[in-house]
Amino acid sequence: MIRGTGPGIRSRNRVCGVEEIKARRRQQERALRKARKEKQLVSKRLPRGLQGDGEEMEIRETSVTQEEVLQLYQRIQHGSDDRLAALRSLHQVLQLKEAQQMFVRFENSIRVLIGLFTSNLASVQLKAAQCLLELSHSDDPSISLVCLPATPYLLTYLSGQSAKFTELCLYILGNLAAENEAVRNQLLLQGVIQALAICLQSPHGAVVEAAAYSLSQMLQAKEAGEKIIPAVLEANLTPHLIRLLDLDSEFGMQTAVECAWCLHYIVSSGVNCECMISQNLIRQAVILLIALGKAIESGITTDGVELLIYPVARCLGNLIVSNGPARSKVQPHASDVLRALSTFTSRFLQSRPFVTRECLWLLNNLTAGDEQFCSAIFHLNLVPVFLQLIPFSGGINTLACVSFANQSGISALEAIQYNSNEEIRVRANYLMDRYFTHKAPRCLEMGKFLNLSISFPFWLILDF
Amino acid sequence: MELPPALSSSSSSPPFTFSSRRIFLPKEDEFFEDGDIYRHLYLRDAITSVGEVERPKVSEFCCHIAGCSQLFDTLENYEHHYNTFHRNVCSSCKRSFPSSHLLDIHILEWHDSLFQILAAKQNMYICLVESCTEKFKASSDRKKHLVKVHGYPSDFRFDKPKKPKRNQKNQDRSPHDMDVETSNCQKETNSLFCQIAAESVEPVETMEAESPPVSEQENPSTLVQQRPSYSYRVPATICFGHGSVRGFKNPRKKK
Repeated sequence: MIRGTGPGIRSRNRVCGVEEIKARRRQQERALRKARKEKQLVSKRLPRGLQGDGEEMEIRETSVTQEEVLQLYQRIQHGSDDRLAALRSLHQVLQLKEAQQMFVRFENSIRVLIGLFTSNLASVQLKAAQCLLELSHSDDPSISLVCLPATPYLLTYLSGQSAKFTELCLYILGNLAAENEAVRNQLLLQGVIQALAICLQSPHGAVVEAAAYSLSQMLQAKEAGEKIIPAVLEANLTPHLIRLLDLDSEFGMQTAVECAWCLHYIVSSGVNCECMISQNLIRQAVILLIALGKAIESGITTDGVELLIYPVARCLGNLIVSNGPARSKVQPHASDVLRALSTFTSRFLQSRPFVTRECLWLLNNLTAGDEQFCSAIFHLNLVPVFLQLIPFSGGINTLACVSFANQSGISALEAIQYNSNEEIRVRANYLMDRYFTHKAPRCLEMGKFLNLSISFPFWLILDF
Repeated sequence: MELPPALSSSSSSPPFTFSSRRIFLPKEDEFFEDGDIYRHLYLRDAITSVGEVERPKVSEFCCHIAGCSQLFDTLENYEHHYNTFHRNVCSSCKRSFPSSHLLDIHILEWHDSLFQILAAKQNMYICLVESCTEKFKASSDRKKHLVKVHGYPSDFRFDKPKKPKRNQKNQDRSPHDMDVETSNCQKETNSLFCQIAAESVEPVETMEAESPPVSEQENPSTLVQQRPSYSYRVPATICFGHGSVRGFKNPRKKK
């Protein structure tokens, strides 16, 4: 099984040039793409802030000997003041893959660690949990899966009230859930869905985010459609996820991002979404996109805001495919949504073209066969915005064309008249030249491609 | 993603017709590749996330619950300690439990005088997994269920049999207690595992939903055989017959 490789340990001793970082990043991306194509894309999360004690996590060595790890292992077995210090060192050392391999091979090391994990001394318990998190985060299953015997305890502790500890347990579970179907089956049998439902209602933002992350790992699975999504729907988890798609939520954007991914996995599985629509999913998604659009327009941008935009756009895009209540719920917000989408498409065209692409897909689904949306586009004078996208490659131009072509003929005629100046003609020419010329089409076919009813005005334009 | 087919350059081919339609994209669709990669880079911490949370630092302080003297140097450790060991506390025996579910079960099975009577007539032992609604006639049946259906280990720490009436005076600490500041609440739990008079009530198997019991090195089952320093500890799953002592003996109190 091939997995994308992780970023590795951050070593403060080595000086990394910018080029080196870029090269590493490109390599990482290639590996991830390959893994995705093979349907083996597995990623885990280890929030660095969670692994500190309030102090910086320093990694002093880049390597460690078997003897050193063995010593630490021996020290943690003896009940003494030294135990906690040894655990701390062990935790640091377990950031190194070789140390992980050594540790898990010692006899009974995992039983010892899990025993400490269930200890009744807070600091010991927390430290042991952090060690387990390091192990669970490994991309080597022979290391991460050693944490499996801890799952009944992990799930039991999720009902507890200690926020940081719960958060740790959730990330361990989420990382394990990403591993394979057998692990997920075990977790399902042990009641993971209901346990996550409780955590999603926690008053602590970090816990909610961690719960949503773990849930997203369950939902991303290949088998999610048959086994996991029905359980999630039955356990009535979705109202919590939907409620958290809220910019004004006290829990911040990161939590909303995780919830958005959960919802995307559910919606894109093809399951019947009526219950989620009745739980206000459309409204929340629409309002969120509008708010994000306004924020970007007014210049209040946060780094990474696109992380929230496109999973929400995906949800909405798939939800409105079928006729029914979904589409009617978007109608009242038509202008605002369109404005937001046009903001997104222009804003991210250069930096994150996939965001633009996905927003255009949403736009297609909004406008296809929908006169109201189409005319809204014209009234808001958004046509030039989308026309601008046409020269760009990567699937965006075809999408823009498709969106453009969704518009009804009469409205198109109005627009052409309204814009009956040089600009739109030049753009239309550009469109024809750039996109259609190399296929040597004739005007008639070209017009038919766009739409029978708007072919006529285009003839007018091209007839020189 | 399916798009209308490309224009045909041959003049004799049938005229192309575009029809606008909505497109549903499943999660594995190639169209989502770039976005998925970006998401995974975020998970791997390779790109900035949307805001980080600062955790405040404090100097060392002590737990304020009467009788508990554990020290902490971070708020989180303290919060964890408080929330784990001073919540879900049984008012009768002062044991604390990791969850209210386990506490409820404990109170029912240990402190409810009607429990034994009812248990004789109907299934009263509730499954430890909160979302499971099964009930059982006996603690052993429940344990079998936990192992078979939920994949629990047979030495699950929160499924220990109830000890017969114990000697309250037996407060000796195990020689391997770790912390100098072992709290009283810890002592209480220790005493459970000290030697028990065998002649009392027959070992009725009820659940002991104890929060991480005893002291640290407490690791039942296989650990025992490996290291001589723990040879006095007997795995909970082993029973030496009626009237024998179950649980963990204190070496100093060997009869």
